[in-house]
Amino acid sequence: MKKKSLLLICLIACLVLVLILVGCAGNKAGNNGAGNNDSNNSAGQNDSGDKKPLPDKDKIVLGGARSLTGPLAIQDQTCFGPVYRMWVDEVNARGGIYVKEYDKKLPIELKIYDDTSDMNTMINLLKKLMIEDKVDLLLAPISTGFLHAAAPIANEYGYVLIGAEGGAKELESMMASLPYFFSLLNYATHQAQPFVDMIAEAGIKSAAVIFIADQHGIEYSGALVPLLEMAGIRVEFSRSIPQGVQDVSALIEEAKAKNVEALLCCAYPDENFKVMSQCMESDYNPKVMVFGPGICLEVFHDIYGEATEGVMGWGAWNEKSSPEMADLAKRLIEHQGGVRNVDWWGQAIYYSGLQALEQAIEKAGTLDNSVLRDVLATETFDTVIGKLWFENGGVPAECYPGQVGQWQNGIFEVVAPSEKATAKPLIPKPAWPAQ
Amino acid sequence: MKKSKRIAKYIVPVVIVLVVVLMAAVPSFTDPYKVVLLRTILMFAILTLSWSLFSGTTGYTSLATAAFYGAGLYTTAYLGDKLPLPLIVVCGGIAAFVLALLMGAITLRLKGIYFSIFTLSSVELIKQILHWYEINIIGVRGHYVTRVNDVTVYYVLLVITVLLMLTIYLIKRSRYGLALSSIGSCEEAAAHIGVNVVGLKVLTYAISSFFIGMAGAIMATAMLYIDSYVAFDLNYSFFPTLMAIFGGLGNILGPLVGAAVFTYLREILITKYPYHYMLIFGTVMVLTILYLPSGLIGLAQNIWKKLTNPAPEKGLKTEGGKHADTSC
Repeated sequence: MKKKSLLLICLIACLVLVLILVGCAGNKAGNNGAGNNDSNNSAGQNDSGDKKPLPDKDKIVLGGARSLTGPLAIQDQTCFGPVYRMWVDEVNARGGIYVKEYDKKLPIELKIYDDTSDMNTMINLLKKLMIEDKVDLLLAPISTGFLHAAAPIANEYGYVLIGAEGGAKELESMMASLPYFFSLLNYATHQAQPFVDMIAEAGIKSAAVIFIADQHGIEYSGALVPLLEMAGIRVEFSRSIPQGVQDVSALIEEAKAKNVEALLCCAYPDENFKVMSQCMESDYNPKVMVFGPGICLEVFHDIYGEATEGVMGWGAWNEKSSPEMADLAKRLIEHQGGVRNVDWWGQAIYYSGLQALEQAIEKAGTLDNSVLRDVLATETFDTVIGKLWFENGGVPAECYPGQVGQWQNGIFEVVAPSEKATAKPLIPKPAWPAQ
Repeated sequence: MKKSKRIAKYIVPVVIVLVVVLMAAVPSFTDPYKVVLLRTILMFAILTLSWSLFSGTTGYTSLATAAFYGAGLYTTAYLGDKLPLPLIVVCGGIAAFVLALLMGAITLRLKGIYFSIFTLSSVELIKQILHWYEINIIGVRGHYVTRVNDVTVYYVLLVITVLLMLTIYLIKRSRYGLALSSIGSCEEAAAHIGVNVVGLKVLTYAISSFFIGMAGAIMATAMLYIDSYVAFDLNYSFFPTLMAIFGGLGNILGPLVGAAVFTYLREILITKYPYHYMLIFGTVMVLTILYLPSGLIGLAQNIWKKLTNPAPEKGLKTEGGKHADTSC
């Protein structure tokens, strides 16, 4: 027999062996398949029927696959990142969270991996945290797309996952099959109605919608356009722009030529900032300007200064919303070395989610995620934004401290809904400052 | 034939068989996360081996791996709940095969940097077309994919890897493989001796892409959510190229070893040094290219030769790891 044939036969034998093993493992794999929430016991949790004593525990490990590098990293630096790091420091300064089943306070240890803004890496690291590291609790990854992928995995392994940055209305339809997932951030439908009511009341007659070619843009434009038309506001155009677009001057010139009174830009920070800059360059100053994420960041005011006066964005909360939120802002700034790096949309809500988790642990008296899930789904929590509870895995509109914000004298004021407002809306917005 | 070469002739197939058997048995004795990690290694091994089957042999640096991988992912996104899994995997391969045939027919008359840039641009073009279609025609971005458990995904990837290795082995031992090598050595000379240069390149491109598409189709079931930005991520073009260089071109083991070590090293660095891993990783790659032009396999071969033959023979050259040269 020729030597080269020997290798061929060996490889074919391998293939046959693998195929046989696939057949054998299929059943076993099927037994370990989706929906096996018992795997949560690997996180050091105890079945109610298991009488074995709990091993001693000296800390709660909070794990997360977060984007520390790559295009999503900016969100960890400016949105949820400062909040969870501060919350962990605060909890540990208090001695930890009291867990009845261990009859002591347990401090929190963070275990954060960098998913490099890559979906496959995020999924692998999430599994590593749950299977290999056996963390007690999970932090959500960044962005709506990543949440879409992470929620079913966390659900399969029986880990509670409270969303942070991201969360689309589209996820709502999946909530029934994802009992371990809780979405925190406002949906487009929460914000569109109070915004349209406000500008209709101010007598706005025409609008133009620029939206990013993305789920975020689709949902916001999809929620806004019908409401505008129902309110009798003429929609001159609703057009998509690609992510990372460099020049939107044609759309701005068109809006200017049609004398559009309200410009609605449903995009991400890069595109929002670009639209803002090009409106200023074109000297186009509509009566109402509202933008998506990024406008609620303090850095937006740092960049544009006086030009932010009257510009609206989704959100919102500020130091005037309540003494608790004023204190939160103060602590966030202090924790970042005095830098006013605050996200006036999400950070109060993210912090409330962590408070709800802490209270759920104290109420449940255990770190068993299946019990925590039940507590989160049924109880009401006292948080920095007030009473917080979950309905169908999401937060009801009335829990949010605001839905629309507007920059007025350097403060991102809540202007809608009126019952949560910290200031009256400034419509029409003032002219651009002299260059 | 030298004794060391005769030993290596027998050792290599035996080691390959043992490794495959061991990998087939892994899910029965290891924790589930190791299966997830090995699954990723196998996925990159397929991408890297497929890349080297075409680019390593012909010397044409293709950066379209992400396009073929994305074609596989999207096949599952659209057909995932309509067809049985084996059929979806094959369909993913066929989608990538057809895409590669089209791309190859258009681009494989180009050479050098023009070919590489075209293949790189094609990934971005397909990504943007799909993105536009989803946003403006369907009105929803992205797709959910029905989940398949990790062990099944792992075994499917293992089968694809073995099939790919067999294919590479058979190609390299055939007249077809000889013709490919002649293209890599001197394309003009190959054409003069009657090799259908363009046809052969296009066919090889499509065959190598078939396996990439199959890998994408099965990996979609592990990713659960697919959109055009996730599917056509340029990292899937760059990583296999780097892995092949890291492991060493020129034989079947180099890309395999490169993919395994590269993936494992990345995992260690990401989890242990999340704030410094890019720096360390970059340094390792620069050092590899500067001091190990034949990759890890070339290094191992040199060590083996020194161990078995302390006095080097005159004219004895390293077997693997050299980039194919398109110039005559």
